[in-house]
Amino acid sequence: MGKGTRSREAARIRIEQMRAAEVARQKRRRLTIATSVVVVVVLVIGGLVALKAAGVGSSKGSTNATYGSTPLAANVAAQVTSVPAATLDTVGAGAVTGGPTKITAPALSDGSKPKVLYVGAEYCPYCAAERWGMAVALSRFGTFTGLGMTHSSATDVDPSTPTLSFHGSTFASTYLSFVPYEQTTNQPQGTGYKPLDTLTAADQQLFTTYDASPYVTSGGSIPFVDFGGKYVISGASYDPALLAGKTQAQIAAALSNASSPIAKAIDGNANAITVALCAMTGEQPSAVCTSKGVQAAAAGLGSG
Amino acid sequence: MSDRAAPVVTAPVSMPPRGYRISSLVLCLCGLATAGYLTYEHYTGSTTLACSDTGTVNCLKVTTSTYSEVLGIPVALLGLLFFVAMTVLCSSQGWALSAGRLPLLGRVRLVASGVGVLSVFYLVWAELFRIDAICLWCTAVHVVTVALFGILVFAAATSDISQPALSHERAGSSS
Repeated sequence: MGKGTRSREAARIRIEQMRAAEVARQKRRRLTIATSVVVVVVLVIGGLVALKAAGVGSSKGSTNATYGSTPLAANVAAQVTSVPAATLDTVGAGAVTGGPTKITAPALSDGSKPKVLYVGAEYCPYCAAERWGMAVALSRFGTFTGLGMTHSSATDVDPSTPTLSFHGSTFASTYLSFVPYEQTTNQPQGTGYKPLDTLTAADQQLFTTYDASPYVTSGGSIPFVDFGGKYVISGASYDPALLAGKTQAQIAAALSNASSPIAKAIDGNANAITVALCAMTGEQPSAVCTSKGVQAAAAGLGSG
Repeated sequence: MSDRAAPVVTAPVSMPPRGYRISSLVLCLCGLATAGYLTYEHYTGSTTLACSDTGTVNCLKVTTSTYSEVLGIPVALLGLLFFVAMTVLCSSQGWALSAGRLPLLGRVRLVASGVGVLSVFYLVWAELFRIDAICLWCTAVHVVTVALFGILVFAAATSDISQPALSHERAGSSS
């Protein structure tokens, strides 16, 4: 091997060594970057958990301090307004302690349609319980839009019972008219709560007349519902404590599970309310009014 | 026939180690199964969701919250679609394509995984600071997503996704 050949060989080896060193350096650099990226990801998630553990931005305890109603999530509203007929049939009379009571009074109508008058308030825990069944039952006769969600007073009995709000909602039906009033929010003001909806003079007259003896056993109570002058409800049809600690989403999800205590109370109440609604609409729609669940609830309703 | 006239065939020179490829596919399948279960529960009313529904660990509270949908699309479904795509990208064919004819696929895989991690940031934030509840199934998906991202980042670091593989033609002409 000549001198020139040895020199070229040495140069080739040096170049290969330099290339190898460069490859190793690039590899180390890439691994460093990869490690850094993964560490940053872990730190971000760890940071969120640490902030939560430290109580930063926690909403715990603030739930009861929020007032008024907020729009009900679309998926939750869908679960409330479309409880499967099979579930309602399975629940039947359910597990309710009250319900609509038959009365003898002039027919109540809104134009050409029979009218349901609801008077409640967002602070009221009994209204909180009753709204669920009202919404489920009315949805068998029409379509709700703009339902809200709220909770009852944080300082009353059954504090912060999760519920819906009819304030600002609309109900479209070919069978009947629904006129709801939420008289106050759940926000304390003075010795009561901040006013919300004001009854018209005519509806105030109806409220005063029929939310009293002999139509109801405890006059002046809310919730009060007048079903076209044929039935009335005064008070809750089941214990609001059943809903304690739940979210609206949890309650809505439970409505489709016939074996859940929540479904037995709310769906059972909805079937009883449906009996009253069917009495207003001439038993229409027949698929609803002749359903097994409604028939079972009708057998359990008393008269006043 | 000269070397220059030889057909251009890409060589699989930028394939990451086998361990990365297999573990990424296993993670994708785990994510696929979990996201599939959550999607099933979403569309069946979450009535059979196997998870606590009280206290801090409350799957139902999370999966039925307002944060369970993005622009009307269930997050569970988005997760399922994500893992379907990632399973394809992390399959043996996906790795072979990204190491050969479609080097862009490697970037798509890495970017998609990064988007998954950003989604995890958002969902963890929502669980901790907005919903006040933790969903164990969702957490499992989050862990899988972050682990998958880590593996893909290291896979990219140990292979060269930024340069297309040498062709036989170029290798031949340089010899």
